[in-house]
Amino acid sequence: MTMNAAAGAAVVLLLMGIPASAHRLDEYLQAALISVDSGRVEAQIRLIPGVAVFPAVMAGIDTDGDGAISEGEQSAYAERVVRDLSLTIDGIRLRPRLVSMMFPGIEDMRTGLGEIQLTVTADLPRNGGPRRLVFENRHQSRIGAYLVNCLAPSDSNIAITAQKRNYSQSFYELDYVQAGAAVWRPGAEAWFVFAAVLLFSRLILLWRKRVQSAPPHGRNARSACATATPKESALFVAVELQRCIRTPLCRMRFQRGTIRKPNRSGAN
Amino acid sequence: MRVPFVILLSAAAALGQTATVRIVGSANKFLSTLDQTERQRVLFAFDDQAQRKRWSNLPVQMAPRAGLSMKELNEVQRSAAMALVAATLSPRGFEKVQQIMDGDEVNKVESRNNPMFGKDLYFISILGTPSEKDPWMLQFGGHHLAINVTIAGEHGVLTPTLTGAQPALFTQNGKTVRPLGGESDKAIALLNALDENQRKQAIIGSRMADLVLGPGQDGKTIQPEGLKASAMTEKQRAMLVDLMSEWSGIVHESAAAARLAELKAGINETWFAWSGPTTVAPGRNITAYYRIQGPNVVIEYAPQQLGGDPSLHVHTMYRDPTNDYGRKYTGK
Repeated sequence: MTMNAAAGAAVVLLLMGIPASAHRLDEYLQAALISVDSGRVEAQIRLIPGVAVFPAVMAGIDTDGDGAISEGEQSAYAERVVRDLSLTIDGIRLRPRLVSMMFPGIEDMRTGLGEIQLTVTADLPRNGGPRRLVFENRHQSRIGAYLVNCLAPSDSNIAITAQKRNYSQSFYELDYVQAGAAVWRPGAEAWFVFAAVLLFSRLILLWRKRVQSAPPHGRNARSACATATPKESALFVAVELQRCIRTPLCRMRFQRGTIRKPNRSGAN
Repeated sequence: MRVPFVILLSAAAALGQTATVRIVGSANKFLSTLDQTERQRVLFAFDDQAQRKRWSNLPVQMAPRAGLSMKELNEVQRSAAMALVAATLSPRGFEKVQQIMDGDEVNKVESRNNPMFGKDLYFISILGTPSEKDPWMLQFGGHHLAINVTIAGEHGVLTPTLTGAQPALFTQNGKTVRPLGGESDKAIALLNALDENQRKQAIIGSRMADLVLGPGQDGKTIQPEGLKASAMTEKQRAMLVDLMSEWSGIVHESAAAARLAELKAGINETWFAWSGPTTVAPGRNITAYYRIQGPNVVIEYAPQQLGGDPSLHVHTMYRDPTNDYGRKYTGK
C-alpha cells in the first residue's frame, strides 16, 4: 500500500466513523486453498474486499445498481471470477466450473468483514506420474492481494513435491506425483483411439474375407452379411470376436465358416 | 494485581494440587460470584459448535462474542474471572494476555476513546461444566485475543489460540512493552542462525497478505513449506523449539511441559518458512511473515499492513491440526 493510498483509505474510514487500524483497506484479499486428488482439483476461494475498495467491488457485483445483490447477480459475479481464473495440468488447459457460492451481507462487506466464498472444481486425467498444476488468478488484479496454498492431500496416491509462486501470489505452480496409475502423456488418448479404430477395421475385413471364402453349407453367414447394415456387421464381429477369444473351439468353427449370424427374430 | 496471582499459583502448587483441581476451583469460584442470569449467559454446552468457533482477531463490535464482558462484571466478579484465566495459563502466558489487553487500552486512548477498543471489551465463557474428569472449555478473548483452553482430566489443550497486538510496542509506566516481542526476537535469531543454503530453502519469495489458517479455518491442514528441521543443526532445532514455546508455554506449566514434549518428538518433521524482510531495527518487531508447521502444530506470525507500520500490528495463530479444541481427548 502506498502512503497516499493508505492516507486516502484512512480518510474514507474516518468519514464512515470506522477506525482504520482494524480493517483491511485498499486491497481485495483473495485467498485460495487448492486440493488435489486422483481425478479432481478443487479451489476454495475467499474474497474479502477492503473498506476503501468496496464501492468498486460492489459496482461489479450489483450491476443493476439497486443497492442489493440478487441471486442472478451473485451467479454472474461468481462466473466472472471463474473466468478470471486459469487452471492447467501439464500445460493442458482445464475447465474450472463453479460448485458453490456464498455471499455475505452488504453491510459486512462495507465494513471490510464480508467474505465471498466460492468453490471451483475441474476434472483431472486419472493417469499417474509427475504432474504440474498451474493456478492463475487475474481477478481484479489492480487491487487484488492474493494468497494461494495447497491443502495436504487426503489421497494417499498424491505426493506434493514443490510449490512456487510469483511475488503477488497471483501465479501458483504445484508439482506433485500421482502413484498407482499408468503414466499419462498429453495426446496419449488420441493415439489409443486411433490404434483401436485400425484394429477394428482390420477385424471387419478379415471376417468378410472368411465368410466369402466359406463352403456352400456355410453360406448362410455370407448371405446374411451381404444384407446386413454396416452397424449390424460390426456388432456381429464384436460379439463373435468376444466369443472366439473365450473358446478356442469356437475360433476353429469360425475359421471353417460354420457360424451363423443370428436373424432379427433372435433365432439361429 | 499481577503479583498476588503468581503468589496464589505458587501457593497452590506448594500444596500439591494438580493444575486441573486448581483450575476447576477457580472456575467454580468465578461462577459462584454470578447470579442466575449471568450464569446462563456465561455457560454453554461443551459441544456448542457455534460458541466454540465464536472467536476472532477483530474487535468485538465487528465480530460479536458471547459470554460476559469484563465491562459487565463488578470488581469481585472481574477479579474472579481474571483469577480463572491466570490459573489456566502460565505466569508468562497470563502476562502476555494482560499486555495484549493493555495494548488495546492504548489503542483506545490513541483513537480518542474509540468505544471499539479497550480492556473492558474482553469476554469470558465456559463450555461444559468445570470438572476434574469430564471435558470442558474456557474461552477468553476480544480484539487480538482468542484463548481457547480445553481441560480434559489432566490434559490442558490451548489450540486453537490467536494472539495479536496493536500497538505491538508501547510504553507503560516508563517501560517498553512488546506483548509478542519473544515471537519476533526468537524468529529473527533463528533466521540469522541459518547458513546461506538453509535460508534459501526457508525463505518464500512471495508476499503473505494475511494468516492462512486464521479464524474460520478450522480443520484444514496445508502442505508444509520452507526448511525442514531435519536439515537443521541441533542448535538450530533447539532455537526452533524455543520459538514454538512462545505459544506452547502460554498454557499452565504441566500442560505446557506435555505439549513441549510433543513438539520435540515431531521436530524432525517440522518446517520453518519465512516471507518478507530479513532484518529488523533494534528493539522493534520484525515485519516478515513466518510459519512453523509440524505433524501436530501450525504457527503463523503475520504482521498486518492495516493502518500503518506492520511492525506495530501483528496477528499470530497457534493450532494443532490433530487436536484443536482437544478433540483427541474428547472425541468432539
